[in-house]
Amino acid sequence: MNRRTSIWFGTMLITLALSLCGLWTGEALAQNPVYGETLTVTLSAEPPGLDPTTSPAATIKRVVHYNLFEGLLKVDRTGKVVPMLAKSYTASKDGKEYTFALHPGIKFHDGKPCTAEDVKFSLERILDPKTAAPYRMYYEGIETVQVVDPLNVKITLKKYDSMFLFNIARGDAVIVPRQAVDKLKSQPIGTGPFKLAEWKRGDSIVLVKNTDYYLKGIPYLDKVIFKFIPDPSSQLAALKAGDVDVIAYDMAPENVAALEKDARFKVLKGHTTTDVIMAMNHSKKPFNDPKVRQAITLAIDRKAVIQGAMSGFGTPIGSHMDPTNPYYVDLSGLYPYNPEKAKPLLAEAGYPKGFEAILKLPEPYAYARRSGEVIADQLSKVGIKLTLEVIQMGQWVDRVFKNADYDLTVMGHAEPFDIEIYGKPNYYFRYSNPKFQEMLKKAEEEINEQTRKKIYADIQKLIADDFVNVYLFVNPALPAMKKEVQNWWKDYPTIAVDATEVWLQK
Amino acid sequence: MLAFLCKRIFILIATLFLVSGVIFLVLRVIPGDPAQIILGIQATPETLQTLRHKLGLDLPLIVQYGNWLGGILRGDFGQSIQYDVPIASLILSRMQVTLPLAVLSIFFAVIFSIPLGVYAATRRNQVGDYGVMLFSQVGLAIPQFWAGILLILFFAVHLQWFAAGGFKSWGESPLLALKSLLLPALSLGLIRAAVLARLTRSCMLETLGEDYIRTARAKGLAERVVVYKHGFRNALIPVITILGLQMGELLAGAIIIENVFHLPGLGRLVFLAIGQRDLPVVQGVGLLIAFIIVVVNFLVDISYGAVDPRIRAGEEGA
Repeated sequence: MNRRTSIWFGTMLITLALSLCGLWTGEALAQNPVYGETLTVTLSAEPPGLDPTTSPAATIKRVVHYNLFEGLLKVDRTGKVVPMLAKSYTASKDGKEYTFALHPGIKFHDGKPCTAEDVKFSLERILDPKTAAPYRMYYEGIETVQVVDPLNVKITLKKYDSMFLFNIARGDAVIVPRQAVDKLKSQPIGTGPFKLAEWKRGDSIVLVKNTDYYLKGIPYLDKVIFKFIPDPSSQLAALKAGDVDVIAYDMAPENVAALEKDARFKVLKGHTTTDVIMAMNHSKKPFNDPKVRQAITLAIDRKAVIQGAMSGFGTPIGSHMDPTNPYYVDLSGLYPYNPEKAKPLLAEAGYPKGFEAILKLPEPYAYARRSGEVIADQLSKVGIKLTLEVIQMGQWVDRVFKNADYDLTVMGHAEPFDIEIYGKPNYYFRYSNPKFQEMLKKAEEEINEQTRKKIYADIQKLIADDFVNVYLFVNPALPAMKKEVQNWWKDYPTIAVDATEVWLQK
Repeated sequence: MLAFLCKRIFILIATLFLVSGVIFLVLRVIPGDPAQIILGIQATPETLQTLRHKLGLDLPLIVQYGNWLGGILRGDFGQSIQYDVPIASLILSRMQVTLPLAVLSIFFAVIFSIPLGVYAATRRNQVGDYGVMLFSQVGLAIPQFWAGILLILFFAVHLQWFAAGGFKSWGESPLLALKSLLLPALSLGLIRAAVLARLTRSCMLETLGEDYIRTARAKGLAERVVVYKHGFRNALIPVITILGLQMGELLAGAIIIENVFHLPGLGRLVFLAIGQRDLPVVQGVGLLIAFIIVVVNFLVDISYGAVDPRIRAGEEGA
């Protein structure tokens, strides 16, 4: 190596090192949030009103939860329950008393202070039957809510409930102002980092920064616009044309590959809490026979369903729990695809030639319709002939959900941590197993975290072994956005589209 | 003429009354309890009952119907369940999108179809005729939403001349409002044009084969006068009839196009309201659309007279 080449080589090394440093500092700079700017986010459905406490609609929580309204606690982006309006809380030894200490200086958007009185009012309001709160049952374990002083509130439970803190973090338990409670549906007043500026019905909802927010330094954005675009191709076109900055969480999976080729955009690939299952009606023949249910489970190739219906996005599950849940155990390999074993099982159950059944599919959900088509094909190979019936959501609620008038149906259960539905014999699967009910009760009453974890693992296994339903996959979260959008949520362990700590790189 | 008008107005009111009853009943017959849909699948029976009572859904049907109709007679369409605002104001703001959209798309349909149809008829079985027929064949085969998506891809995503949808209100900027309706109106209008061009062509051909056209030609009139004065005016009557009938289809087509272009119009309002079982809104919009269709047909009947003096004369004689 002569002198000249070594100088050249050295320069190259230095350049390389510098550019690597540059990359690093670039990365570091990216962590430094920028203030200001407007972010336009598209959601596919407009919320029916903006009060998350009197309507169960997930579309409401996606706009208001964390952005406009806050609860004592929240589920963070990793799925953990952490303080929110409460800066801390303490629990009594028997787990029946919780004392929450509020952040000082919290104000509602109308300028009035938010105190322990409002906490008491909000929780008692949900419990009041006259409010007709759809999720009242989650809070019925509360015996009293006492104001200790303006910044401290004590909640006493009838008995220990391991789900209590999680429920307090739900979007139904947000703290609302006494003085403006009747108008929340159209004039929401909360404590969140953003305030409602305008609701152009049928078009968009505009939020502006709450400059009085009690946590200093956030939010970064001046304005967040939620724009409602129902059609997935129109959403994509709006993103590409620059009309919107983010497709909130549910880009159509078939469009991901094409968008990723475009250097202006990025797609995050995460989880939701929506467990997609093929439910089976246990009150009807032949689905009351566990052998038939096992045969159906073995005859369905989940991977092929995910490939065919979701373009490969989505995580296979073996029980009714999603991977963002801290109690999740992976059972997707417990009963793998095995159509050869399905046929003898059907013969044992008295159906050597298979049978015919109707699979009802809810019209609004593409994942359900498409999964249904793949499943019908797979089951036909073991002799089960399905007729597909696409029905309107209203009919689904009426026929399938309320009256269990169905054979099979595909539905995504969006509620986080909803394994308790298997403990209700009247739920639309009509699954009734006293052992499950007993174990669920134990889990909810268990104070020791490790023991509880063990019980939840056991009950996940129990409903898998009982083949209650065919557990298909967890719906993917596919938020898509311009490269400049920073700190957007990847996973959705709770129902919220939170813009609090999002910022736009210039 | 006065008797004619009175008769038409009586028919109009009777039709609307009938329609109101049908809409009301159909919405009660279809499965899906509004309270259940509002409160979701987890709600307890007591909670559902409380809400049903709040919404007045526990009253006898005839009382509910009477209350609704009475309200409308007083000009009160009721309150939207999902939006919590008066329905009249909701409809009014949505009309500012859907009505101009419908008018604009009819405008596009007419300016493309009628010249093309007449042109094709006068050049029967020539290249021009085949060209027009090909356009119309393609137009008939393309679904509206797909035409909409193609227009978005080309003009909004590729050329970036237009936004990919959405609506700027007339108050903000009349020019931008018009601009945001251009692509959707074009996708609605072009497909209407395909149907109308075919119709215009066949009507023209039929008229041009009539005896009086032969007479006119025999008189030595210029071809232009024969085609436009004698042929065209007579051929126009069926075209206007179809145009009137299409108004209803247009309002229905708006539901799809408004979804593709995410315009806050009547179509999207009613689409959402059906899904949410916001019954007062569905009823109000349904009645309004029926009203529009009846009125348009009334106007079509009157316009025959303007086009064809024989019809005017016939009425005066009656």
